[in-house]
Amino acid sequence: MDPVIKLNNVSVSYLQNRKGVHSIKDFVLKASFISPFKKHRVLHNIDLEINKGDSVGILGPNGSGKSTLMRTIAGIIKPDEGLLKVGVRVSPLLALGAGIELELSGYENMRIALALSGNYNKATRKEMIQKVTDFAELTNEQLMMPAKMYSTGMLARLAFSSVMTCQPELLMIDEVLAVGDKGFQIKCMNRIHEIIKNGATLLFISHSPNEVKEICTRGICLKEGKKIYDGSSDRAANVYTKLF
Amino acid sequence: MQGKRRYIILFLIYKNLQLKYKHSVLGFLWSLLHPFLYLLIFLAIFSAAFSTTENYPLYVLSGLVFWIYFAGATGQLCNVFIKNTHLIKSLNLPKIIYPLTELGSELVSFLLGLIPFMVLMCFLGMHITFNLLYIIPVILLFSIFLFSVGLILGSLNVFFRDVGILWNTISPALFYLSPIAYASKLVPERYKFIVKYNPLYHFLELIRNVLWQNQPPDMHYVGRCILITSVTALLAFLIYRKTRNGFISNL
Repeated sequence: MDPVIKLNNVSVSYLQNRKGVHSIKDFVLKASFISPFKKHRVLHNIDLEINKGDSVGILGPNGSGKSTLMRTIAGIIKPDEGLLKVGVRVSPLLALGAGIELELSGYENMRIALALSGNYNKATRKEMIQKVTDFAELTNEQLMMPAKMYSTGMLARLAFSSVMTCQPELLMIDEVLAVGDKGFQIKCMNRIHEIIKNGATLLFISHSPNEVKEICTRGICLKEGKKIYDGSSDRAANVYTKLF
Repeated sequence: MQGKRRYIILFLIYKNLQLKYKHSVLGFLWSLLHPFLYLLIFLAIFSAAFSTTENYPLYVLSGLVFWIYFAGATGQLCNVFIKNTHLIKSLNLPKIIYPLTELGSELVSFLLGLIPFMVLMCFLGMHITFNLLYIIPVILLFSIFLFSVGLILGSLNVFFRDVGILWNTISPALFYLSPIAYASKLVPERYKFIVKYNPLYHFLELIRNVLWQNQPPDMHYVGRCILITSVTALLAFLIYRKTRNGFISNL
């Protein structure tokens, strides 16, 4: 079987500000005629194959390139070297709560999140809204309020539920499970297992080796933009723990 | 996929409009108050000074409405990428969608505002003829022009944050440099070049052709405006294409 995601020698760079040039004023005062930007390599020669139905945990210290790797797979950042093949429909919403507008109500935000993830159309909207509401366990009254009045946990419920009720082909989660109370966390874990069982592929960024061990069968450990381990999630969790 | 994109675009336009008018009781009416207030000020102060201009109230109003559209939309477009940082970092959509939806919602509120002002213009002595329909292509051309200006500002603003601050300073100055409250004829000959090299002047002439003089647009100005728009749009496209891949690392 062909892998659904294939990275072959992929390197990704960011443009980095040289000498802290953030305005035209700085540009004139500090910089000479050299370009104020330089390339900063974030991911170095990554080789990776992920098969359909894999659940892969990505571990690594802060700044090791985990989110960049995910954004590259999602097609948000273009690699400057190497080959990238993604054979599944990527659910476009990566960071949960990215589209949340604090001035708008819970219902309005729900609609935006569903529309952005491509799961909202005239035929199914009532049903989808109902599903999200049930999952989030937020009352009608709460969902009528503007999101700025929500607690952090309620916001997480709103954002997470909007994504969790869909059945994506490739689910990407970027360290968010820590919010929400114990009950909601368990509910999310169960839902993730269910999504995987239904045939989705999972990419899961986390700082908790235990979560990765629980959810994923495979683990990848990144350090300074290089892949230092790729194998079972148990071993990857050990490698990660020994880094500190 | 195409249908889905269109849906997302329409949805984001709707969201922008919702956000714009959400927390003001009078909502949409406030956006009418702005040009109306300025109109009253100009009438009170300048109508005596510029009494040689035929039907001065209509002259001012026709320019003013379009100026407010220009200033508002370019101001919004200037910050459009910064405002949508989170979405840009987590959605795999062409980044041009954000300025497009911003322009879309600005255009919708401009057109809605235009209806009552058209009624007011009729009271001020504008004749209702088929010539008025020429305003539609003029609006279209003007929108492409201001979108290009906004896209240039927005793309550069990601890298140099003072572009936004500079534009906030320059744009009111541009208002007084453009013949909105005064007729371009009144500008002394040796300062006329300031007016002539202002791209907005040519658009304002075009708008006045239709709304104030009730004539088809002068081909002379049509040509210039198309040229200005094409050059600006090309420049915007080049700048956007050059900078877009750097957005994520600088937002």
